[in-house]
Amino acid sequence: MIYIAIIIGCIIGAILGAFAPVIPYTYSSYLSIAIVAALDTVFGGIASVIKGNFDLKIFLSGFFGNSILSIALTYLGEKLNVDIYLAAIVVFVGRMFTNLGIIRRYYIDKCVKFIEKKKLEKESKSKEDEDETTETEA
Amino acid sequence: MKAKITMTISIACIALILTLVMFTQFKTVDETDITAIETMRETELRTELASWKEKYEEVRTTIEERESKIKEYEDELLNDANTSSILENEVKESEAYLGYTSLKGQGIIVTLKDNDIYNIEYQDLLRLINELNNAGAEAISINDERIVSMSEVTMVNNRIILVNAKRISGPYTVKAIGDKKYFESALSIKGGYIDEIKAAGKDIEYVTDDNVIVPAYDDTEKRELKYAREYIESEE
Repeated sequence: MIYIAIIIGCIIGAILGAFAPVIPYTYSSYLSIAIVAALDTVFGGIASVIKGNFDLKIFLSGFFGNSILSIALTYLGEKLNVDIYLAAIVVFVGRMFTNLGIIRRYYIDKCVKFIEKKKLEKESKSKEDEDETTETEA
Repeated sequence: MKAKITMTISIACIALILTLVMFTQFKTVDETDITAIETMRETELRTELASWKEKYEEVRTTIEERESKIKEYEDELLNDANTSSILENEVKESEAYLGYTSLKGQGIIVTLKDNDIYNIEYQDLLRLINELNNAGAEAISINDERIVSMSEVTMVNNRIILVNAKRISGPYTVKAIGDKKYFESALSIKGGYIDEIKAAGKDIEYVTDDNVIVPAYDDTEKRELKYAREYIESEE
């Protein structure tokens, strides 16, 4: 259900984005930093789902709040003539890697467990087979 | 159940917003020409304008320099052309003056003929030339021999008249360029040249013409200056 919603949302967003007007070049830097912040929130959300402490309110507030905050900081940095957006990118991308690490570990664990389970199943099956053969021989 | 639906819708919305913004950004980055004016902000445009103005000023000063240089060269060229044309004119004038060019203009043609009794003597020709010069002749020729400053009119052996070291014989046609009325009156004045020649029993005729052609002096006979040297007073 949720996966279907995500896919539909992505498709509609891509179509709308393809027809969206081109924004001025100077504002596109704000937009890019907002995208990085949003991606960070998304990965954080996935990690929290894995951890089992996912909260929709926190996720939504993080998604919009981080984006708006990063845009505001970038604007402030431009006014102060300091490249604050670099710090924002470092933080967000760093956190993204952390969350990706969590996700990766989770899925690797899952994989390993799955493989081990299969192995066990196979072993038990072969044992059963052996048992059967021994039985027939006997 | 209700909570699940809200969550689904929320996540769908977030996915939509994220992809929408991302694709917009992709498109922007893809299509934006960094130098395009439309996508620039005011401050950037101002700095750009300032730099362009500077460049413009630079280029303009160089253009001005070049133009002034070109003008100088043109002036020089003009001067050169002027001097050369003046020189050319001078050369032509002096050549005409010296008799090295054929000339054409209004003037008089006097014909002296030997008759049965009297021959034309070289003194008659000399006197005629003298009279014509007196009347303001600019160019004179005897039988197409141009009279220049070094020309001689002499008689050898009491028979042969030499002009410019060339033998001429009658009838003697004397052409002169100048004011034809002056010539006419100077020659035909009472007791003048024509009267005297006629009184001596010799034949003389004259015609005034608007297109008298006096030929050039023969260059091959040109006398070189062997003894005469330019003398400038201030030297001594």
